[in-house]
Amino acid sequence: MFSFQTILDNFPVLLSSARYTLLISVLGCFEGLVLGAVICAGALSSKLWLRRIAALYVSFFRGVPLLIQLLAAYYLLPVIGINVPALVAAVLTVGLCAAAYLSEVLRGSLNAIPKGQAEAAAAIGMAPRDVWVRILLPQALKIGLPAIVNELILLVKASSLVTVVGIVEITRMSQSIAAATYRPLEIYLAAAFIYLAINLVIAQAGRVLERRLTV
Amino acid sequence: MTIQHAAPAAAHLRNVNKFYGPFQALTNVTLDIPPGKVTCLIGPSGSGKSTLLRCINVLELYDSGEVRIDDQLIGYESPGGKHMAPRRLREMRREIGMVFQQFNLWPHMTALQNVAEGLERVRGLTRAQALTRAREALAKVGLADKENNHPSHLSGGQQQRVAIARAIAMEPRIMLFDEPTSALDPELVGEVLGVMKQLAAEGMTMVVVTHEMGFAAHVADRVVFMERGEIVATGSPREVFDAPSDPRLASFLQGYRERNSLDF
Ligand SMILES: Nc1ncnc2c1ncn2[C@@H]1O[C@H](COP(=O)(O)OP(=O)(O)O)[C@@H](O)[C@H]1O
Ligand SMILES: [Mg+2]
Repeated sequence: MFSFQTILDNFPVLLSSARYTLLISVLGCFEGLVLGAVICAGALSSKLWLRRIAALYVSFFRGVPLLIQLLAAYYLLPVIGINVPALVAAVLTVGLCAAAYLSEVLRGSLNAIPKGQAEAAAAIGMAPRDVWVRILLPQALKIGLPAIVNELILLVKASSLVTVVGIVEITRMSQSIAAATYRPLEIYLAAAFIYLAINLVIAQAGRVLERRLTV
Repeated sequence: MTIQHAAPAAAHLRNVNKFYGPFQALTNVTLDIPPGKVTCLIGPSGSGKSTLLRCINVLELYDSGEVRIDDQLIGYESPGGKHMAPRRLREMRREIGMVFQQFNLWPHMTALQNVAEGLERVRGLTRAQALTRAREALAKVGLADKENNHPSHLSGGQQQRVAIARAIAMEPRIMLFDEPTSALDPELVGEVLGVMKQLAAEGMTMVVVTHEMGFAAHVADRVVFMERGEIVATGSPREVFDAPSDPRLASFLQGYRERNSLDF
């Protein structure tokens, strides 16, 4: 028998574990966007060595499974004398990985902006920083918004991988509760519902932002 | 109008060469652009007109020779020397307005913000000052009532006039126009040329790449004909249009007249 009561009983606990999912997603997303912009700037630099580093970064963090990256961060960092809490290691790693994908999204979006946009800014004597902040990034964000929203949703789901370093977020919590209550169906449905709710909010925010950026 | 024109500047090109890889786009170009006058560049497509124009504000860096705004070398620290420091180049570019064939307005900003942006970020005006001056510039090109429109909600002619307002608001001492009406529907050409004529009448130094021979004939003080990266002929509109001495110029004009079958 499907037990709705089981869902109701365990929902508060599940929901409270969602704070780790949210924390990792939000901080990872922020880190990913900022670092992604930096990497993208490197990839588009006129300096060969910067382009090389950016390319190496992207191929590493896209090429190695996040699970391995998390384990590596968790087990390797202490070996080289860096002791950070699992949560910090997890947020950092998720953000580093997201940055690789987001930098590529940004790079594609920037390439879609006509050259004349930056030229018009350069022609009036605008400094490169202002050209980036005022002219290029706002347009790149708009062009890349659907793809960025995609990446953020993937990031929320990927945050379930941090269980491997012992963080009890939604997925891990639902596994424990399912094992304890022998009600996997109900519990996993509840977990799915929470993920869905988070991602619907992101998708909706993306749509609102997109509409506001469209003129 | 309170938009003042700073003292118009001259530009001088001496033996300028520009290569794209092995391809030579400009060959030994020497040209004096007098202050307060209109110089029109004409010539077939691919003859290097845009390249010449873009060497004046160093959107393209020439490979050898000298380009000066008044007496100031631009692009290099000294003739044949090191590249000019970016900051110094930016300072010089403030004095050089440019208007592009494709307008290149920033689509995410209103017309007003397009004009105010450089005043705030480059000229360092306060927001209030920038908006005031931007409104004056828009009024000057006849678009005071369109300040809240984004470029996508303006006609091509209106967009190009906003682009001109964006340039003149910076109070440049010389203005470069790269085929400013070539992307416009024919019925919108006149409003843009009208604004340009007004600027010319106010004594702005203007360098205009154009296929509008009527504009060149009636507004230019000097006409420069280019072919294959070289300046082939220069002269007053009369000399160039009525009595072309160079056979290449004559055949270029002949071709133009046949395509347009009108007199100028
Ligand atoms: N960025 C570039 N790279 C390579 N070739 C170029 C570039 N820009 C212009 N050229 C070439 O230089 C020549 C002159 O171009 P341009 O100055 O645009 O001519 P115009 O404006 O008279 O039509 C053309 O043959 C063009 O193909
Ligand atoms: Mg051209």
